[in-house]
Amino acid sequence: MIRSVARWAWRNPPAGASLIFLLALFTLALLAPVVAPYAPTTQNVNNALAEPSWQHLLGTDDLGRDVLSRLIHGAPATLYASFLAVSVACLLGIPVGLLAGFLGGWVDDGISRVIDTLMSFPGIVLAIGVTGALGIGLTNSMLAVGIVFSPQLARLVRAQTLVVKQELYVDAARCFGASLGRIIIRHITPNAIQPVIVQITLLLAVALLAEASLSFLGLGVQPPQPSWGAMLARAYNYMEIAPEQMYSPGIAILLTALSFNTLGEALRVALDPTRKRR
Amino acid sequence: MRGQSRLIGRRLAQIIPVIVLATFVVFGLLHLVPGDIAFTLAGENATDARIAQIRESYGLDRPFLVQYASWLWNALHFDLSRSYLSNEPVLNQILHRFPTTLLIVCGALSISLTIGIPLGILAATKPESRLDAAVTSLASLGVAVPNFWLAMLLVATFALSLNWFPATGAVAFAKDPAKSILHAALPALALAAGGVAEVARQLRSGLIEILSSQYVRTLHAKGLSPAAILWKHGLKNVSVNLLTVIGLLVNRLLGATVVVEAVFAIPGMGSLIVHAAINKDFPVVQGVVLAMVVVVICMNLLIDILYTILDPRVALK
Amino acid sequence: MIRLNGLDRRDFLALLGATTAASGSAYAQAAPKRGGILRVSAPANPSSLDPATGGSGSDHVFLYTMFDTLVAFDYETLRPMPGLAESWSYPAPTTLVLNIRPGVLFHDGTPCDAAAVKFNLDRNRKGERSNIKGDLVTVADVTVTGPNQVTIRLTEPDTAMPLILSDRAGMMCSPKAVEERGKDHDRNPVGAGPWKFVSWANAEKVVTTRHEKYWRPDRPYLDGVELAVITEVQTGLRSVVAGQNDFAYQLLPSQKPVIDRAKGLVAVTGPTLYCVQMFFNCAIAPVNDVRVRQAMNFAIDRDEFNKATMNGLSEPAVVTMPSAHWAHDPIMAKYYPYDPDKARKLLAEAGYKDGLDVQAIGFSDQRWQQRQEVIIEQYRKVGIRIRFTNGTVAETSASFNTERKVPVFLSAWTGRPDPTSTYQLMFGEGAYYNAARVAATPEIGPALQATRAVEDTESRRKAFAKLQRLVTENALLIPLVFQFELDAHSQKVKGFKPNLLGKPKFENVWLEG
Repeated sequence: MIRSVARWAWRNPPAGASLIFLLALFTLALLAPVVAPYAPTTQNVNNALAEPSWQHLLGTDDLGRDVLSRLIHGAPATLYASFLAVSVACLLGIPVGLLAGFLGGWVDDGISRVIDTLMSFPGIVLAIGVTGALGIGLTNSMLAVGIVFSPQLARLVRAQTLVVKQELYVDAARCFGASLGRIIIRHITPNAIQPVIVQITLLLAVALLAEASLSFLGLGVQPPQPSWGAMLARAYNYMEIAPEQMYSPGIAILLTALSFNTLGEALRVALDPTRKRR
Repeated sequence: MRGQSRLIGRRLAQIIPVIVLATFVVFGLLHLVPGDIAFTLAGENATDARIAQIRESYGLDRPFLVQYASWLWNALHFDLSRSYLSNEPVLNQILHRFPTTLLIVCGALSISLTIGIPLGILAATKPESRLDAAVTSLASLGVAVPNFWLAMLLVATFALSLNWFPATGAVAFAKDPAKSILHAALPALALAAGGVAEVARQLRSGLIEILSSQYVRTLHAKGLSPAAILWKHGLKNVSVNLLTVIGLLVNRLLGATVVVEAVFAIPGMGSLIVHAAINKDFPVVQGVVLAMVVVVICMNLLIDILYTILDPRVALK
Repeated sequence: MIRLNGLDRRDFLALLGATTAASGSAYAQAAPKRGGILRVSAPANPSSLDPATGGSGSDHVFLYTMFDTLVAFDYETLRPMPGLAESWSYPAPTTLVLNIRPGVLFHDGTPCDAAAVKFNLDRNRKGERSNIKGDLVTVADVTVTGPNQVTIRLTEPDTAMPLILSDRAGMMCSPKAVEERGKDHDRNPVGAGPWKFVSWANAEKVVTTRHEKYWRPDRPYLDGVELAVITEVQTGLRSVVAGQNDFAYQLLPSQKPVIDRAKGLVAVTGPTLYCVQMFFNCAIAPVNDVRVRQAMNFAIDRDEFNKATMNGLSEPAVVTMPSAHWAHDPIMAKYYPYDPDKARKLLAEAGYKDGLDVQAIGFSDQRWQQRQEVIIEQYRKVGIRIRFTNGTVAETSASFNTERKVPVFLSAWTGRPDPTSTYQLMFGEGAYYNAARVAATPEIGPALQATRAVEDTESRRKAFAKLQRLVTENALLIPLVFQFELDAHSQKVKGFKPNLLGKPKFENVWLEG
């Protein structure tokens, strides 16, 4: 398994690089307290907005905190946010999509109408509205983002289920009197899952950008916890004096989103059944 | 034509349930958590009695469904009621601010198309070339870049350092078109990154598929020039894909302007809804959502009509 | 080395060190000119443009353009001066006679006479929608004793009244407009100020134009004032740098270098009463213990806070009045030096040897988050684990002052013209900003009263010193810094001077060129 992934990554340099970047990021996030040169909250107001030096490889921020350490310590919050949002989207979207696709009829009609409606207005606007209701904070804002993304997954899963439902083996299972739950879990889910995996990977990137946006608007992470979006929001205040403050968090967001996207696209190609047959 | 009018009729019939559902969902979400605007309205020095009085006078003490029903009833009569905060008619606020946001969104859309289409064509005509690789990576970057960050970079460079563009605010198009466009330029540019990428990407993959088809190969064999093939057959076929992309783009741009408007302090729909949502100014939130849904639905309708023009078979379906 | 228009970081830091206190705007000798419209970037949307119904300290800059007050104040010392009332006197300790300037007209042409003044004062203290009843609690009744004279009978001696009448309570609205327009007067007000209301696009812009029949014949110089609401002060300053506006006020200290560097911009600074501070609800654990409150005061390094969040451009605060103010108490100002050891000791005595957890609320924008981060870090060093929950101004004030379930609130006090109001509102029994609602010690009430019972400044100063001692010793508050006002305007703006309230008035401003 690992070997085949490695071989696939080797033959597909962008995907390989993305995979390595993301693995490194996860490791950094897990080992943040060990790896980061400083504590993310240690302040030194006499050395505020310092430029990069050997002591502070990426310089210091407005309170004299080490930017590199804050980036590293911001990684867990950022990744947590992305995965939380996508998990919520999965928990809501996948079952709903499966039900709609499998049951069909008026259930499908009703669910599809709701999905269309939710998708007909801009996601981030809805997320802001929901965050306003749930209260400001990282978890709340990401719950909101997850809720907003769930229709996308539901629609995809529904479409996949419709396709798989027609397959012979599902009919066969039904003939043998398998229960609905069993059919969904044993037959439909595994066969409909591949595009979902691709979609999840792509959604991770979108969630990351949404987290950054909401934190930028002050609706996400609250102090003193660092997050990349919040770092950018702070940098915005120092744009005239220290424009370089906005470089590193922005690049971190860009690279991570890029990696999720590249990986997602590569997976799409790799998992595409029509390609395999060719 | 009959197909088209039937389509329009069907779409219009869908609008009302969609609007009801959309506003109901938003209304419900905002009511999930206790706490309302009464505190804000009462201001400093407010007593409990004053807050209760405000709640009553604004009807905030009524059951949730009653509040929603009364809002909906008024909305169906084209009365979006008044903002709790400013007592200004919501419709006025929206009519006042939507043009600003629309200008930015339209600007971003036209930039996306004018840059994205040529890039997509270039890449598709020379697939697997270095140019194609460059376009593809540019597209990946465009999708992954946070647009508010791009907006900050643009402000820092073109507004603060070079002073080519205003850093903040907006001017009404009716008042001074040139100034208005100047104000909208940087926000539109920041928003367009994702659009350029999406357009180029979709166009490229669509064109490559068509150009490698059996049918086009036959045309080649017949001796048609590559340019003629591209224009007459490639682009016409791919325009349906393009329409789909535009539809999705408008939806996404409307959302993304919220954050970009914050960077430029533009008094548009974004700042309106952020402010209203945080302060639980329900009529305004509802109004903005309604306006955006209507725009998206109209856009989809327009696209559906264009589909039928490009491909009459769609209408018959 | 990153260079910004010729200014590098070392210059910037040196500049920060070098810039200190007040530097008034450069006064040109040229005579004031009439004409032109001043375009101002304002940091907040007004809560209402009716002085009686509004509730936000940031409304005043808007209100001053359209409303004149009965009593004016001296910009630098905040001593009372004649306004719509030409003069006043206390024939007895509980009687205040105001002599109203004859011939003053409201924007709608109706006269601002004694009857109008009585109408306004009664509306302000009794009106159903009045938000300022608290300011006039000591008023027993108001009678018209002449066409241009009103007599205010007080329930108790109150020498704070003249300065109270320089605030919202003294802003005169046209009785005719108030009665005709009712609630709509909030958004379509009629006063007797130098400019009259034209339009208010909510959260966007308030436009005013010259009041042709203003009572001071040589004023105003400006044909109009337009206040654009730009809530991000960075953006507000950028709008002045780019020439879209002429004037921006209540800027952040961190913006000083930006103003200095921008061509054609003038920075104006001056001390203000605006105090960044943490409020206590002394009725809630753990801050119901005076030792905890004292520890939280000793654990703050105010110089570092000033440096980190204000670029060192503000005045560290221990007492309630800044050093420029006549009621400042220099002795109590030394009561809470930065002393982490003492803080730890006090905490241990209070039973929090292993550290203390405190819940606090605050505001969610970046400026406030930065302040919270500095406080969190300073408290961490003495074992106080403070956690902030953030929200909008309305939400947080409601949860602290109305629901009263949170022990600590990081917020600010925008100041009141008379110090008695400040102390009364924050520490008085039943006062809105005293979340515990009861006075922390029974001595507060009498001490407050004493500040209103004497008229001359020196005796009042002594009375305030006594009151301040009670406040400081009982640690009823954690003052952090008095923010210096920082305004920026283009060079064509002349004649502007800041005031101690930190709320700019444009009555003396003119435009050159």
